[in-house]
Formats: sequence, C-alpha cells, structure tokens
Amino acid sequence: METLRSTAIWIPLLPLIGSLLVGAIGLRWLKDRSHWLVIGGVALSLVAVLSVVSTVVGEAGRAHNVDHVAQHEGVDVAHTSDHASKLTESFTLYQWMSMGSDSWLNVSFRVDQLTSVMLLVVVPIGFLIVCYSVGYMRDHHGHPERGYERFFAFLGLFLFSMTVLVLAGNFLVLFVGWELVGLSSFLLIGFYYQKPEAAKAARKAFIVNRVGDFGFALGIWLIYLTFGTLDYQKVFDSVALAMQYDGDTYPAILRDFQALLGTDRVPDATAASALVLNIQDRITWIALLLFCGAMGKSAQLPLHVWLPDAMEGPTPVSALIHAATMVTAGVYLVARCSVIFAASPVAMWFVGSIGAATALFAATIALTQYDMKRILAYSTLSQLGYMFLALGVGAFDSAVFHLYTHAFFKACLFLGAGSVMHAMDGVIDITKFGGLKKDLPITYRTFFVSALALAGFPFLAAFWSKDEIIHAALAGNMPLLGWIGLLTALLTAFYTFRMVAMAFWGPKMLPAGVEHAHESGRWMTVPLMLLAVGAVFAGYVGVTFSDHGFIGFLAPHGVFHHFLDPVFASAKGILGAHEASHEGYALMYWSSAIAIFGIANAWYFYTKRPTIPGAIALASGPIYPLLKNKYYVDEIYDAIFVQPLRKVGRFFFGSDRYGINSLLFIIGNLPRVLGFGLRTGQQGAMQGYALGMILGLVALLWFVLQG
Amino acid sequence: MTNHLLSIMIALPFLGGLAVFALSGLSPDMVRRVSLGVALLTAVLALVAYGEFDAQRAQLSNNGVVLAEDYALDAAADSGLPVILRFSLGLNGISMPLVLLTALLTPLAILASFTGIKTREREYYALMLLLFGTMLGVFCARDLLLFYVFFEFTLIPLYFLIGVWGGSERRKAANMFFIYTLSGSMLTFAGVLYVGWKASQLAGGVMAFDFATLSQLAEQGLLSSTEQWWLFLAFFAGFAIKVPLFPFHTWLPLAHVEAPTAGSVILAAVLLKLGTYGFLVICMPFFPAGAMQWAPIVGVLAVAGIIYGALAAWVQEDVKRLVAYSSVSHLGYCLLGMFCLKMSGMTGSVLYMVNHGLSTGALFLIIGMIYERYHTRDMAKIGGLARKMPIMAFFLIFFTMSSIGLPGLNGFVSEFMVLLGTFISRQADDVAAQGGPYGIWYAAFGASGILLGAIYMLFMARRVLFGKLTEPEGGFDDSAGLTQDLTRREIGILVPLAVACIWLGVYPKPVMEMMEPSLQPILATVAKVDRSQFGDDRQAAPGRAVAEAPSPSQGEDRGEGSFSVADKSKARAAIEHVALTDSSAAASSRNKKGAR
Repeated sequence: METLRSTAIWIPLLPLIGSLLVGAIGLRWLKDRSHWLVIGGVALSLVAVLSVVSTVVGEAGRAHNVDHVAQHEGVDVAHTSDHASKLTESFTLYQWMSMGSDSWLNVSFRVDQLTSVMLLVVVPIGFLIVCYSVGYMRDHHGHPERGYERFFAFLGLFLFSMTVLVLAGNFLVLFVGWELVGLSSFLLIGFYYQKPEAAKAARKAFIVNRVGDFGFALGIWLIYLTFGTLDYQKVFDSVALAMQYDGDTYPAILRDFQALLGTDRVPDATAASALVLNIQDRITWIALLLFCGAMGKSAQLPLHVWLPDAMEGPTPVSALIHAATMVTAGVYLVARCSVIFAASPVAMWFVGSIGAATALFAATIALTQYDMKRILAYSTLSQLGYMFLALGVGAFDSAVFHLYTHAFFKACLFLGAGSVMHAMDGVIDITKFGGLKKDLPITYRTFFVSALALAGFPFLAAFWSKDEIIHAALAGNMPLLGWIGLLTALLTAFYTFRMVAMAFWGPKMLPAGVEHAHESGRWMTVPLMLLAVGAVFAGYVGVTFSDHGFIGFLAPHGVFHHFLDPVFASAKGILGAHEASHEGYALMYWSSAIAIFGIANAWYFYTKRPTIPGAIALASGPIYPLLKNKYYVDEIYDAIFVQPLRKVGRFFFGSDRYGINSLLFIIGNLPRVLGFGLRTGQQGAMQGYALGMILGLVALLWFVLQG
Repeated sequence: MTNHLLSIMIALPFLGGLAVFALSGLSPDMVRRVSLGVALLTAVLALVAYGEFDAQRAQLSNNGVVLAEDYALDAAADSGLPVILRFSLGLNGISMPLVLLTALLTPLAILASFTGIKTREREYYALMLLLFGTMLGVFCARDLLLFYVFFEFTLIPLYFLIGVWGGSERRKAANMFFIYTLSGSMLTFAGVLYVGWKASQLAGGVMAFDFATLSQLAEQGLLSSTEQWWLFLAFFAGFAIKVPLFPFHTWLPLAHVEAPTAGSVILAAVLLKLGTYGFLVICMPFFPAGAMQWAPIVGVLAVAGIIYGALAAWVQEDVKRLVAYSSVSHLGYCLLGMFCLKMSGMTGSVLYMVNHGLSTGALFLIIGMIYERYHTRDMAKIGGLARKMPIMAFFLIFFTMSSIGLPGLNGFVSEFMVLLGTFISRQADDVAAQGGPYGIWYAAFGASGILLGAIYMLFMARRVLFGKLTEPEGGFDDSAGLTQDLTRREIGILVPLAVACIWLGVYPKPVMEMMEPSLQPILATVAKVDRSQFGDDRQAAPGRAVAEAPSPSQGEDRGEGSFSVADKSKARAAIEHVALTDSSAAASSRNKKGAR
C-alpha cells in the first residue's frame, strides 16, 4: 500500500507542477513551447495512473480469490466491505483543520475501483486534449494565440483539481476538488475575457455552481453532525450499519458505532440514539443536499443554465471539462455515496426523476439549436440525465459505465466541432456552412463514428451503456423513466444526425470570408482518431461473451461491472438483491431500431427534403420558439431571483445612506445645540472634538476614582 | 532584551513616529525610507517575539502568556487613589497571530503609500507609525485599562489619516467615524470602571484591571448573571461598533471610501479586529454568563449582517465601497464562530480575523493601485483592465478567490470551520455538555453568504477586469512614476500577502496549534455557564440530544427570525415526546423501515 500511496499523490501533483511552472516562466521564456511542461506533467501523471490502476486491479483480484476460497470452504464472509478492505482505506497526507480535542479533518486520499475508473477517464482524455490544444490554440500559420501559456497553465490546474476530486478520501477533500474544478472552469470559460459573453458565462458558471455547492456544504456539515467524521468509509459503514437495525436496538447500535468511529470521534449515548431515531430522515436530507452539489456541477435541472453558456470557452475546454470529465463529477459523487442514496428511497426517486427530466428536456432543446457546440452541450446535459436516471434506479455500475463511454465519444464530437470551427475561421453556426465531408475527411470520419455512437447505433459505445440504463429503468419500480429514456434516445439520434447532415452532408457551402477549408494538423487529428477508436470499442469492456446461445452471446455486465462490484456491493445490499435479468435482449432490437429510425429521419429531413423542418417549426405554433429560447429559463431566473435580490440590496444601501445622513445631521448640529461649538471653522471642529474627548475622559476618570 | 521585548516592540514605532515628526529637515524621500525602516524593524521584533513565543509555548495552557511584562503603579500608595494602574503586557495564542498580522500589514501599507501620499509626508508617516504601535499595544495588553487606552488611542491617528489625506468627503467621514466609535466606547468605559471596582474585592480593596484578576470575577461568583448581562452590553457598545456588527456598520463604508489606501488597509485588516478580539478576550472569559445570554442576539445580528452586507455590496458602483460592505458581511462569520461553543468555530473565528486581514487588506491595496492610475473607483468608468494590467488582474483574481473562500486559499479554511462549528453548535460534547447556542439554521442562513460572496465579488472582478477596455480620458496617470501594469514595488507588496494566503490555506496546522491552548480556557469558561438559569430551556436532559438533533422534519417550520422562541417550544415538545413515547418512536422507526 505504501507504493500505492506514494504513487497516487503524484497523479495530481505532476500536472500542478507543470501548470505552476508554465504560469511562472511561460510568458517570458517558454512562449510557444509552453505546452511541453504541461504535456510532460500530464504524461507522467498518466504513467502514475496506470501504475496505480494496475495495483488496484491486482489487489481486487487477490481479494476476489480470497473471497472465492472462503466461500468454497464454507467460511462466512461477514461483510462485503471486507473484500477489498485495503482498497477502501483512505490514507492521510496531513492534518488540515482542527476540530478541537486533538481531532482533525485530514487531507486524505483513497484509491479503489471507482477511483481507478475515474482516473482512467480523466487523465488519458486529459492528455489527448492537451495535445489537441497545441494545434487548436494556434492560427493557420502555427503562431500561438494570445494567452497560449495561460491556457496550458489553466489546463494543468484543471487536471490537478479533477484528480484531487476523484482521489479524495473524505468529503472535505472532495469538496476541495469540487470547488477547484469550478475555479478552473471559471478561468477557462473566461479565457477570451475580452468577449463580454465569455466573461459573463464564466461568472454564471461559477455562481450557479455555488448555488449547488451551498447545498453540498450543508450536506457535508450534516454528515459531520450525524456521524462525527467525514471519512468516506466510516460514513458509509455507519449508514450501512444503521440500516441493519430497528429503532429498539440502541445498545447494539451504540456499541457498533463506537467500535466503528472509535479512532475518530465517539458520539455519546444520546447522540447515537438520536442517530437511530432520525436516521431515515437524516440520511434522506444528507442525500438530497449532496445531490444539490451534483445538480450544480453536472448541470441538471434546474441548475443546468450555465453549461450551454460555458461553450464560450475554447473548444478543447468544452470537450475536456464540459463534456468528458468535470460535469460527470456529480455522477461520480452519487456513485461514490451509493450507500447513502440507496438508504433513502426518496432521494433515489428524486435523482432518477431529475435525471429523466433533464434528459428529455435538454434533448428537445437540442433539436432547435444551430450552434454546433451548443447542440453538443445540450446533448451532454441529456446524457448526464441518463446517468442520473441510472443512479436513481439503482444501476450505479451502469451509470459509471455510461460516464466512461460517453467521455470518449462526446470528447471526440467536441474536438471534431473544434476542428470544424478551426477550419471555418471561428464560425460554428451550422446554417453558415455545409457539405464539409470532402474537405475535412478525418474530422468527418471521426465525427461520424462518434455521432453514431452517441445515437446508440448498434455495437458502438453508447449502445451498450444506454441500453443497460433503459433496461434497468424498465425492470425497476419506475418504468416510466425507462420510457422517457427510450423517447430521448429517438430524439438523440435525430438531433445528432441533424447536425451531421447540416454540417457535413449535402452541397458544399463555406461561410463568407473562408476560401478553403483546411483539415487540421497532426496535433489535432491524432487525438480525434484515438478518441474515435474509443467511441467504437470502449463499450466492449462492459460486455460479456457468454454462452447463453446466439441471442445472448453479447450479454451486458462484463469485466467493467465485475471490477466495480465491490464498490456498490453494500448499496445493492440495501436495495435488495437485484439480479441482472437476461430477458432484456428484445430491448436491444428495439433500441437499435429507434436509433436507426432517428438517424434515417434526420438524413431524410435535412438532406433529401430540407423544407420539412421549417414547415414543422411553423406548424408547431409556440412550441418551436419555446424550445429555441430554451424554455426561457434564464429570463425566468433573472425575473424571480436576480432582480428582486438586487432591489433588496438597493433598499439596504439606501437605508444605510439615510441612516448616515440623519446621523451626520445630528452630529453636525449637536455642537451648536449644546453651545460649545464656538467656532465652526474647519480646523476648530476637529480640535474641539479631540479636546472634548480628552477633557471628558480625564474628568470622568477623576470623578470615578475620587468616589 | 527578551524581558522587555514587547515594550520595545510597541515603543519603537511610537518613538520612530515622533522622530519623523520632529525632524522637520528630512526630505520626503528620507521620511518614507526612515518610516519604512522603523516599521520593518518593528516587524522583525514581532518575528523575534514569535520565536520566543514558539519556544515557550508550554506556558500557554491555563490562560498563560509568554513574554510577560508587568509594571504596577500603585496609585493608592502615591496619591491615595484606590487603584492599581498596570502596564502589563504578554502574548497568548490569540494575540500572537494578530500581532503578526499587524506587523505584516503595516509596513506594506506604508510601502504602498510611497506614490499616493504627496502632501505633509512627515505627519502622515508619523501617524502611521503611531497607529502601528497602538495596534500592537492593544493586542499585547494584559490589563483592561491599558487595553482600553490603546483601543481608544487608535481613533486619533486614523481620524487624522482620514480627515487630512482622505477623499473629497473626508471631513464628514472622519467626524462620522470618530463620533460613532467614540460614543460606543464611552459606554464601554463605564463598563471598564465597573469591572475594576468589582475587582477591588479580589485585589485588597483597590481597583484592579489586570486580566488575571478579572477572569476570577465570574468564576468566584462575584458577578451575577444580571450584572454580566449589563457588562456585556457595555462592552458590546464599543466592540460591536468597531467590528462592525449589523446594524452598527453604517460608519464603515463611508470611512473606507474616504480613507487613503493605507488607512483603508489598516482599518479593514487590523482595526476591525480590535472589536472581535475584544469580544473574544474580554467579553467571553470575563462575563461568560453575559456572553451566553447575548449569544443568540449576536448570532442573529451576525447572520443578518452577512446577508445585508452581501446584498448591499452587490449594488455598489464604487469598488471600494463594495469591498467595505463585504467586510460587514465577512465579520459576521467571525462572531458566529466565536459564540458557537465549538472549538472548530473558535479556532476558525480567530483564523478568520487573520484571513480577512490578509485578503481584504490586499484587495484595498489593489484598489488603491488602480486608483492611483485612473483616479476613479467607479466601475462604470473603468473596465476590461486585464488586457492592460495582467499582473494586477492575476492578483485581483487571486485575492477575490481568497475572499470568497476558494479551497486551497486561506478564506476557505476559516469559513468552513466557522460554519461547521455553527452547524454542529447544538450538539453536546465533552466540553459543552449543554451544547452551544446556535445550530443548523444559523449556519444555513450564514452559509448563504458563501453564495452571495461569490456573486458580488465576481461581479466586481468581471466589471473591472473583463469585457471591453474602458478607461477614463487620457489613460493612466504616470506622473508619479507608475507604469501601466504594477511596478516591482507594488508586486513586492502583494507577494507576501499571497504567500501567506496560500500557506494558511494549505497548511494552517501550526497556526491552529498556536491558538488552541489559549482558546481552550475561554471555551471551557463559557461552556460551564448553566444556561437554564436565564430561561434557556436547552439544558442537559436525558433526551436532550434527541430533541436538539435537528431532524429536518422538525426544523422545517422554524422561521429565520424566531430561532429562540420556536426552538424552545420545539425542544420541549421533543423532550416530552422522547420521554413519554420512547417505544412508539421505536415502533414508528420500524414502520418506516417496513414501508421502504
């Protein structure tokens, strides 16, 4: 474990060092070579990730074998978390905040299967996108843009923050990573700070996230109040423990809690009994408050408003932060706290419903947008909605699986859009160009493959992961969510290929002022191709080649899920054994048909009969403008939150002014009234007060001391 | 030398100030250098004091101080006055960080005045040094009368600093500031004398003011809880205005706007802390029962101030006034943490004083640097400066982030600890068997400040730094030898503050360990107060923790304004509920399980 510990701390540190160095010497000395330090840092960090993950895989394998032997020999395997006890331990780096009585909140990390999966998403994709940026952040002559070194410094800072977030061993460090990714996101969205829209979008992103973080922080404090610790495993074990008892077993639960929390803080008898009495309510509130944070970071309804605007940032940022990694932090949070959520039916219902609602809501908006990056942003919202839908129905592993596959194809789509934008001199409106298939062959092919993957085309990445989610929802106790998922799948296929058709198919058209469309250079195309390969094959880690005959030769629940099993074991234990049924194959055909139907329609509407969409828009009455204007959510928020609060602020300030002025009036006239302001000369007033004060003090002192 | 280290440290800036004032032949340039030299030497002495402090840390337990000095003037023997006047100094874990903060910021503030102050340099720097010594005196005093003298004396230099070198409305602001704070501390003086008179029972019939004697008063039952209520009120009058606690804050924005840069820096970074420091080392240990009676009111005012200050800051056009209102908002946290009766809250509170000093001091410094270039602080007239002043933009973003509590920087640590302490305040623990006076609703409303803080600070940063470049006619003023972006001198001023912000944000453990031994006795004293005697129903009872456990369903119908009233009835109901229906509660919990 020592090696794991010493390797793991380098994962965030290396990008940070690269970032700080670039920030310090980039502008003056490195200039257009600034990327090398960050690329180097991230590459070394990637090596550390691979080493850590291989250790985790080894540990997990060993634990699995021990488990098997134990079962064979009839030994009782008491607690599921014993399987990989080494992996669930968090290791303390140093003591951070004092809670008194020599108890501390620590800076601690934890490396387990879920961390490994997240690291495998964040760092490799981060590496590819840093490389892509080398090409993207230059003009056609290879000269770097203004702020080149700043951009790479921020990217390094982001990778530091994001890896801290996923490596955290307690809620406090999680919150640290959580806020720091918010900062990186703020800085990168506002990268083109001279554009008022970018500056505004950056601020909006930070503040909307803070709304969520407000709830998140309350949730963390409630965890501390309830359990006296913020350490992941202790909290999760406490919840699991509490779920095993009825209200009338105080002594037993008290003893167990004290044993569990012994090294940290021991809640006294009354607190522990309070815990048992209120545990259901408390856990529900903890889960809902934590989910507030998740809604902010993962841009779920009603806190989704910042993500589309965040597209003002450079495209690699949109790909890395606002599609593949940071926005999935909310999914990670819920998956990490699966035990807490599983213990609260209300929270599960809420998570699932918000997810489904966001999935459908965002997909409908995506139908009407013309900005390629915004379409992809709404698509990201929608796909994140799927992930929360999965979490809400208890399919935690499917959610993480979708997170993983989504990262590849969505990053590829964004980078493809960036490549198009680069070729179109910054134009990204798909009504302004078209038929780019020939001119941008590599971009087109990779974009096409990833679009197929997003649309759920059979045997590509999202096909496996999305199907699993819909299947789990239909089989669970909220089948309506599954139907919403299917409907959204149809919309997804349609809007994705609407975009493909308008940008790449049909007659060639270039925006005004662009003579030739140039395919991008190697720095950009190689990451695109690698990500496209991921978009095709990433799904296969979640698939088993089973022996259920022809129809079941590709069964869901593969290596990926087995690897994650220990993490979600106790949550699944609370939810009750929920054997993956093998009756869902019919769904595969249905969803394939839906995907192909959606794609075919888009192709027909936008290449064969381009007049149809306009006609539909006209015929739909108020619906089209409603969607086009994103349901007017921004305007509504402005009217019911922003403006009233500013009015209150103005009222407060006004009353302050009034208070000051009336006081000043009294003060100004007091001397005259009392008759000792003999001269109103300017110097006189000041001296008068000082003299009066000293005389008064002396007189008072004498008076009192004499008495 | 170490025997008199603190006296020397306090006297040095006084003497230096007098020397600067007296030597009328000095050129302005020499005045600047000499003053800076004196200030730096004083800061070095503060560092030496820290070295001693660190070595003698073991003495801190049980209200101990290090580097103690005590010179008594027994007036009774000399002149027949029944009073012992003491010049008694010492450092403990609360005053040490504040002394270091003062010693860091004052030289920087002096350095920052080099280009801004162009008139009457001798008087200006003499007053700055005078203020420096006085502030150190407040934090080192171990005698209430001495504390009061220093506390009041800070008014005089700042009065002149604002009144002479301030903005266009400087006279109005200075008068306002002076009268307002003086009227509050007059009441405080009455309190001082009353306490001294009471202490004569312990000091052989003569009035005594030393902290050691005063801390015995409440412990030995010489102050009834009613007396303590009144005494707290008397000291509250002086300290709450100084903090400033809502609604006594109205002097602050005006004073800040009109003060010269260095005056604002010192005012925000150190002088406001005199109020919070006073609450912590005088009100809490000397009148613990008074503190606990007043705690709910202080808490409500603190929370109200957090929200009021934040919303008022949001609508400002003047950057300086915006930051001034942010101080009103931030100081509310200090008081919440102080009175929550949790070690985390108290440590966080003292840390907050330091952190607020660093980040707000730095923000005022930066605003001053912009002002020197453009002679305006109106956000309608300046904007998009990041393009022209990238280094300034970096620092402004940095300290903005520090101010809004970004993890990794200092503000987060103290904010988190204060709000966590407030949140868990109710919970009984081995220090406070009855739990503290606050709870989740105070924390929840207080925490809205972390959201509002982000709103107004980023609003400011966006307007000043981002978007289209907007400058007043003619660009920046280089008549004082300034460059467009920050000069080396200005960067040198900001870098130490930034380093301190990172250090306190990443590894505050040494500072926390420094504070705790001195906070513990205060916490223990206040926690011992039996709050049931003044009608606080939240006493130790078998089902107390159950009743206090803020089950969300129980808390939902608590309004903001009715913390105490609602709490009491709720608590009583819950106690009865638990006592009478223990079995039914168990049954209902089983039912819930079944339902799931």
